[in-house]
Formats: sequence, C-alpha cells, structure tokens
Amino acid sequence: MKINVRHIICIALFFIAAWSAQAQEQQEPVMPGEKPKPTKYVALEEQQQHLVFFQGFTLSVDGYGPVAMMISDYGTFEGALRLNLKNTFFPIFEAGVGRCSKEDFNTKVTYETSAPFGRIGIDFNMLKDKFQSNRLYLGARYGFSKFTYDIAGPAQTDPIWGGSKPFSMKGINCTSHWAELIFGVEVRIFRNFHMGWAVRYKREIASTKNDLAKPNCIPGYGYTTNATCWGGTYSLIFDLNWGMKKSHKRGVNIEIRDIPPTQVNNEENKKDNGEQTTDNGRRTEEDEE
Amino acid sequence: MKIKVGHIIGVATLLLVSCYSNNCPVDNMVTCNYGFYDSEGTAITYRDTITVTTLMPGYKTVYTYRKLGNITVTKDYPDEELVNQGYTESATQQRKDTILVNQLYGASSMKVPMSYFNEMDTLILSYKSITLKDTIKIKHSGYPNVELPECGTYRFHTLHQVTATDAAIDHIEISDSKVNYDGKTNIKIFFNGVVE
Repeated sequence: MKINVRHIICIALFFIAAWSAQAQEQQEPVMPGEKPKPTKYVALEEQQQHLVFFQGFTLSVDGYGPVAMMISDYGTFEGALRLNLKNTFFPIFEAGVGRCSKEDFNTKVTYETSAPFGRIGIDFNMLKDKFQSNRLYLGARYGFSKFTYDIAGPAQTDPIWGGSKPFSMKGINCTSHWAELIFGVEVRIFRNFHMGWAVRYKREIASTKNDLAKPNCIPGYGYTTNATCWGGTYSLIFDLNWGMKKSHKRGVNIEIRDIPPTQVNNEENKKDNGEQTTDNGRRTEEDEE
Repeated sequence: MKIKVGHIIGVATLLLVSCYSNNCPVDNMVTCNYGFYDSEGTAITYRDTITVTTLMPGYKTVYTYRKLGNITVTKDYPDEELVNQGYTESATQQRKDTILVNQLYGASSMKVPMSYFNEMDTLILSYKSITLKDTIKIKHSGYPNVELPECGTYRFHTLHQVTATDAAIDHIEISDSKVNYDGKTNIKIFFNGVVE
C-alpha cells in the first residue's frame, strides 16, 4: 500500500471540514440582561411539507485539483453549477480541464494530455433535517471527455535481429466515458459560502480503442492503471439565489396561519413561562434566514 | 450533524486502503504462437525434437573440415587442431543465423519471437528424426504498443502471409493475424500424417 501526498492532503482537508462543522454547531450565547429575540415555532415535519421546491443555484470550484496538479502528475481545474431542489436533490453539471504529464522513472516513457471534460449527475442530501446548512450527501455522475494524448519513449531496439527506431506517437484521439459514485459533506462557513469535500469512486465505462496505445490518464477521470480508481474534490461553494423570491430564501413558504392551533397554544404557553427552547426538532424563522 | 472520531477514522481508512498494482505483461517480448496439428486439423503433441533457427541480416564465414572416413565438421571459427589432425579446411560465406527455439520435444505449441523492423522472417525448422529441414516464411508488419508507461514499450505485429516447405509440414495457415500478448494461437502448423 502506498501512502502518498494525495492521501495526506485528503485527510488534512477532512479534518478542516470536520472542525468547521463543529464550529457551526456552537450557538452564540445570550448575554446577561440581553433579551432573546421573539421566535415562532413550527414543527420540522410541517416546515418540510411547505419547503419551496426550487431553492436556487449553487456555483462551486474545486480546490483540490489545482493543488494535485502542482504536486503530482495529474490535476484538474474544475467548477460546477448545481440546482437545489427542496434542499434534497441537487442536479449538477461539472466541467473543467484535466492535465496529465508524467514520465515513468524506470521505462522513461512519457505520457501527456490536456483536455476539457464534463460530468452530469445528481446529489442527494441524506440528512433528515433539510433546513440544515450542512449537508451529507451521496451522488452519482456520468463523465465524458474527448481528448488527444502523446506518448514517447526511448528508441525501440530489436534484441535479436538488431536495428532501432525512435518511439514517439502524437495526437492519438480518444473519447472516454465513465461513472462515479460520490460521498461527501458540505458545511456553511459564512452566509452563502460553503466548503465541502467529496470522495469519488470511479469506473471506466468505455474508451476508444487504439492499436498503438491505451490512454493512461483520462482528463476528469484519472489513471487507468486499474479498472476503477478513486478521486476527490474539495469544493468552495457559493449559493446563488437567482430565480428565487426573497421570502423563499433557503426556507419555507409558510405563514403563521398554517401552523396547527395546538402548536400556537404551545408557543403562547412558552412565552408565558419566559422560556426559549432551541431543540433540534424546532427551528426559528431567524435561523432559517 | 455531529462528526465523530469514528467517522474520521472510517473515511481515512477508506482513503488509505487502495493497494497499488500494475497489470504489466509477464513476458517482456511479444512472441508469435504456433500450434501443432495433424494434416486433418487435430491438435497434436509432436513427438520429434525441433530446433528453430532464423536468418539474420549480414553474412558470416563458415569453416568446413573434411577427412576421409570421418564426419564432416562445421565451425564458425578456424580450428588449427583439426588441420593438424589431417582435416582439409574450406571457408564459405553464409547468411548469419541464430537459434530461436532449441531442441523442443513433445510440445503441442511453440513461441517464436518476431523481428521488429523486417518485413519478412525466415524460420528454418530442423528435426532430429529426418535430415530434411522446413523453411517457414512469414510476411508481417510491426507497430509499437504501450499498455502502460510503467510497462515500457512493446512491438506488436500483424501477419499478412505465411508459407512453408513440405519436408515434415503438410500445410500452414494464419489463425489469428494479430500478434500481441493475448496468447492466442497465431499460426497453425499441420504436420504430415494423421493421428489415429
């Protein structure tokens, strides 16, 4: 088993994300003498029934790909446009440029490619509480790339009959398709800015066959040494509220008259007692904004 | 959502448990695979010793030593000792050759390397049980192949035509024209006779 720099960076980024998530959970204390703001309580299930279908767009860029490109043979520059449907389903389109430039230490064979790629798919938020700014999701992607690659190496020498010819193949055309399964987390850092990482399990579906050489590295996919490979992204995510009504921002389209009478009574009782409950099962409108 | 230490360890383990292995071919040279059959096409184990030599580019000087009542001796270099023993020496120019398969016995197939850049390979099959030899001529074209950069480069071939003489061979045919490391039989040699 090889532990390389990529693994170490992945783990480091994971710890950063975990720390961010914990920081999010700590709520600001109410100072002595300060009056808590009035709240209206609505049951979580009730809120989710009225959750606005379209929750806006999300733009994201990957921070891991460029770092990988700097410290290894392969990396990507990529971004994604994602739709937020009910804070549950996230259809997504990812596009970028992948670059690979490597030379094998032993054989001195070089491989080079640089080409755009695209992925299309969907993420599913697995958290029960869909109002959370943090998300834990599973996703799937279909990826494709049309690219050319160059391979060169030492001259080929016939060991029996003798003779030698230079070895260089340029501009071999290839189109590749692959599938990905994704597991990731995403946490809100500040207002509309989120960060998250994802682990990707990739499987090559098909690539154009060529008699001369097999593509060793596919932009957007990675190395084809084995039938499957692992990848990862560390995303910087910006929520855009294009096409959303102001009142619908990341929340519910609900008015106080929609709340069942029993809950309104409960709320009044609590006001009388001067208590402010902030358990997990209930949310304030303030929080949702 | 609470992220516990168990989750962190789980994901870290998932990332680390990915063993590296390459799928490089075991053989570092691509060979043409010959299958042995009887004249009717039944796969056989050939019960004779076969030696395969091939002609190389260029010529060499061969020294032949003859003495009445003794076996003729052929050598690639001059031997003064034999001359002193009364042998007569004669030098001739011959095409260079090399042994590709040495004394193969009881085999049902054989693997023979191919030239990288020549258009035609000439193989000479010598048998132990008969003095005659067979010559197989193979027309082919070679092209480079890279499976993985870490495996290095290989030379694959496409067979175009194959012919053979008939000392022990009935006929010969191309079975699979692509010579690579798939291990398929590329050329079928049909020897004289039928297995009962």
